[in-house]
Amino acid sequence: MRTLIAKLALTAAALGCGLQFAAAETANIWVRADGSNFMPKIVDAFNKANKDQVKLDIIPNAEIIPKYGAAAAGGTAPDALSLDLIYTPSFAAAGQLEDITDWAKSLPYFASLSPAHVKTGTYKDHIYGLPFSADASVLIWNKKLFKQAGLDPEKGPTNWAEIEADAEKVNALGGNIKGFYFSGNCGGCNIFTFTPLIWASGGDILSEDGSKATLDSPQLRGAIDLYRSMVKKDLVPAGAQTDTGANFFAAFAAGNIGISPSGAFAIGALNTQYPNVDYGVTFLPGKDGNWSSFAGGDNFVVTKGTKKLAVVKEFLDFAYSLEGQTILAKYGSLPVRGDIAKEALKDLDPRYQIAAEAMAKGKTPYSVVFNDLINSANGPWTQMINEVFFGDDVDGAIANAQETMQSIIDQAPQK
Amino acid sequence: MTTITATTAPPRARKLVGAGRRQWIGLLYVAPAVALVMVFFVIPLGMTAWMSLHNWPLMGEHSFIGLGNYWAILRDTRFWNALRFTGYYTVVVTIAIFAVAFPLAIFIERPRPFTNLYRTMFFMPAVVGFASASLLWSWLLNVDSGLFSPAAYDLGLIDKKFNLLATFQPAFWSIIAMVVWKVAGFTMIILMTGLQSIPQDLQEAAVIDGAGPFARFRAITLPLMRRTLALALILSVAGSILAFDQFYIILRGGPRNQTLTAVYWIFNQSFVSFKLGYGAALSMVLLVILVTLSLVQLWLLRKPEGLD
Repeated sequence: MRTLIAKLALTAAALGCGLQFAAAETANIWVRADGSNFMPKIVDAFNKANKDQVKLDIIPNAEIIPKYGAAAAGGTAPDALSLDLIYTPSFAAAGQLEDITDWAKSLPYFASLSPAHVKTGTYKDHIYGLPFSADASVLIWNKKLFKQAGLDPEKGPTNWAEIEADAEKVNALGGNIKGFYFSGNCGGCNIFTFTPLIWASGGDILSEDGSKATLDSPQLRGAIDLYRSMVKKDLVPAGAQTDTGANFFAAFAAGNIGISPSGAFAIGALNTQYPNVDYGVTFLPGKDGNWSSFAGGDNFVVTKGTKKLAVVKEFLDFAYSLEGQTILAKYGSLPVRGDIAKEALKDLDPRYQIAAEAMAKGKTPYSVVFNDLINSANGPWTQMINEVFFGDDVDGAIANAQETMQSIIDQAPQK
Repeated sequence: MTTITATTAPPRARKLVGAGRRQWIGLLYVAPAVALVMVFFVIPLGMTAWMSLHNWPLMGEHSFIGLGNYWAILRDTRFWNALRFTGYYTVVVTIAIFAVAFPLAIFIERPRPFTNLYRTMFFMPAVVGFASASLLWSWLLNVDSGLFSPAAYDLGLIDKKFNLLATFQPAFWSIIAMVVWKVAGFTMIILMTGLQSIPQDLQEAAVIDGAGPFARFRAITLPLMRRTLALALILSVAGSILAFDQFYIILRGGPRNQTLTAVYWIFNQSFVSFKLGYGAALSMVLLVILVTLSLVQLWLLRKPEGLD
């Protein structure tokens, strides 16, 4: 009898162990290469603190969409992925994502999550994506060059006239030094850094719901004239005209550029890789003041029908904790929870606070065909910015882009 | 009588059995090749044709739409523009390649001092992959960090750096220069083998008859090079119609989409807009165009009667 009890107890213990073992699950998560700094750190921290585990794959930016599509078709898609937020509407429209509305709304801090991310994560009043990482657009200036040019190194430009005047003064230093830089053949860079100039002046390039292209606004025309004028005055390096984004950050980092619109990511990159560049950070201004920002970064989405939903939720809960947000902030993303952003950033470079403030008011255009319209190197937006900044026929280029964008929107799959 | 039929019939039967067996053995020998062609050509081609009849997005359901994609191609002005540019590029680059490769082939055909060195030098770029060559040239052509523009500026030849890739003509001719540099060596080798196969005694006889170099070239070299020329021409035309790497890597279809080629547009529709069915239909159209063009070239350059 005793042996029987002992045997039973042993069996129960073994069973218990077995159950415990089976309960620890592993979820697969993908992230685009832009997240290769912070994502491994946060996954490590999560795996150390939890029984359930996350296995992370980092995929090159340009490959993550086709790769995910192929994997989904073959039934081998990851359980979740951190995805450039602009793709969320088209992924949701394709019926590929899990509806996480109830869970999202049950989060006590739901109202403090980055509003632009939540907006792009929402499709037909259901939530399919939640904010994961964030990047705001800001204006950066080189303090050393400002000083040499006789400008106040602590004061960045606050309107368009000041941008041009300051750039001109820096440019006058001559040699390899140029006043201003932008990537003139990169649609993604310019939606990130050029449209805030338009938004801050009260204009827009797409209607709120993404159903109309609105390129024929005086605000867009005004912002174009600012860039054209700087190109004409030779304040911009010749390479800008064909830069598809490869030089977006590097030009300023080399220390020869006075002013450049950029992203909050530049703060971390400059601090760690180019400690000799002394720079200031301010908002991207409108024509007569005011300011705006693009809200970039990633949304976290869940593959429809995944069996690891519990682990995925656990992981996202961890990412949203103060510990998670602090890790994100430390390794290159802005916090996505507005209510604890200040705390998560408190030990970091104070210039992040400006970016975080910009993020809170950040804006992301909403479209199920964002890639076709904006990011594609051959899309209407990229073609237009190159023509209007460097070409001769500004009105023709705008009209052409307006027509092409509208026809792409009209042909988009309606579900 | 019966003995005769009896003796003649069996050998005939044996012969048939032998031929049948030989056929089977023959099939067995080519089976691996047939399998490879099936797996890597026929089946993918069939799948592409099947996909082209569907609305096939990257994600989500696909649905049969018959010839819908093909009707859409008829209205796709950007595809026709891309095709027109591809045709223009093919003509220009083929002429340029032959203009460089033919003299080079004549130059290196006969042994002379350093012939092997020249052959190696001219052929070298052909062994570099198109993508690597494009990356190399995109650096050489870069206005700020490359070779041409900064060197010209530093030498004082120009007073302002000139961005070669910013406007159509310089960008287009930069690509032509790169492709000729890359491909002419390969064409040169093909043409050289053609030149070497022309019997010397024909040339010598013509010299005795008093024919000058130009007359010999026109009356002997060119006609006897017909098949070699046809091969080089078809390779060049087919390669140019499928051009993609250099336009994607160096120009991104720019400036302002003026250098979008047909394959670039197919890539764009398939992997940027994720319309896989439409991309498949475009591929089928391009395939038909390419096959037709190759047949026309073969027919034009077919061996004339009575000439070996």
